Amino acid sequence: MRSLTLFTVATLAFAGQALAQTPPTSATTDLPVTGRVPQTCALQPGKIQPGGLNNIAGLDGDTLRIIQFTDPATLAVRAASASINFEAVCNFPHAVRIESQNNGLWPVDERITDRPAGFAFAVPYSADISWGQLSGHFETNAKVGALSQQLYFVDNAVAGNFNLRIAIDEGASNVETRAPLVAGTYVDTVRIFLEPR
Amino acid sequence: MMKRLTLPLAALALTLPGVALAQATDTSTKTVGIVGTVPQMCFAGTLTGSGSFDLGILIDTTTGQLRNDLSAPAQMLVGSFCSSRSTITVSATPLVAQDFTAAAPNGFSRSVDYTATASGWTTTPASFTTSAASNPAAIQTRPTAFTGDIAVAISGFATTGGSSLRLVADEDYRGLVTVTIAAVN
Repeated sequence: MRSLTLFTVATLAFAGQALAQTPPTSATTDLPVTGRVPQTCALQPGKIQPGGLNNIAGLDGDTLRIIQFTDPATLAVRAASASINFEAVCNFPHAVRIESQNNGLWPVDERITDRPAGFAFAVPYSADISWGQLSGHFETNAKVGALSQQLYFVDNAVAGNFNLRIAIDEGASNVETRAPLVAGTYVDTVRIFLEPR
Repeated sequence: MMKRLTLPLAALALTLPGVALAQATDTSTKTVGIVGTVPQMCFAGTLTGSGSFDLGILIDTTTGQLRNDLSAPAQMLVGSFCSSRSTITVSATPLVAQDFTAAAPNGFSRSVDYTATASGWTTTPASFTTSAASNPAAIQTRPTAFTGDIAVAISGFATTGGSSLRLVADEDYRGLVTVTIAAVN
């Protein structure tokens, strides 16, 4: 009986331990999933907007080639324009910078030093940009052959078409309107930057 | 715990015959019931590896869109067990930008959906898709006790809202996969 009694006591003791250390009937594991998205801006190659050309042959690589730069009768500049779409994205608040390398179209041949009175020797043009809710207008004046640029701030991320419209007005000149243009090949480079502010 | 149970039972076995011999002149039989209980219990196992899924950079930086080659090594829960019939349940939350908390601008999303799968416990893996309205396959039942390894994997990544959307910049996208094994009657 004593042994049995002890056994009973022991049973109670184990029962007490069992209550204190109830085995888990379920077990859970959490596994975090992480990733990051860096600040990114990207511009895809441009495409001419349908119906967006006037007196321009098209986009040859990254070059716009004007069909008839001057009126053969007056040598005054003829109007030309091109509207180009770039698929683009900036996934954070950013800035748009548009830059003209020459501040207008200037002769590529630097040997042209003869600038007879009454003749124009550089051609101004304008560039309009449309990007998300931003609309910007940038003008070159062709008065000085130097880099010119304009900066715009965009307050949020934007994705979609970045539209650039480059236009040369009829008779544009860096002297008087409709002045005849000195013979030569005229060029400029426009750069668009999507960049951190 | 098993070791402590053994000692009093052994003492009983030795003592009871002695008592019977001392008090009886004829044969007498006593029956002593011995009862042991194995409780229902489950152990999730030991995680190998990092214990997390680090996907790194989520986007193709030339387009801003979700990479189509996202992957992370499966995580193993080694030595999991349940001592009875059990269920395995997997749930998951989308990867969400933690710092960019405003609504995403037009054309953007701040969340990535995926499917989490737990294999090895049941014939049909438990799986949970974060974009799904319901996930009936998220809970699977195993009719017998089992011990083994559970492989947890994630796959099928998709930008919440549609594949044409871009992800907003954020250095901290986070989601969570939860795996639970539970004993059931």
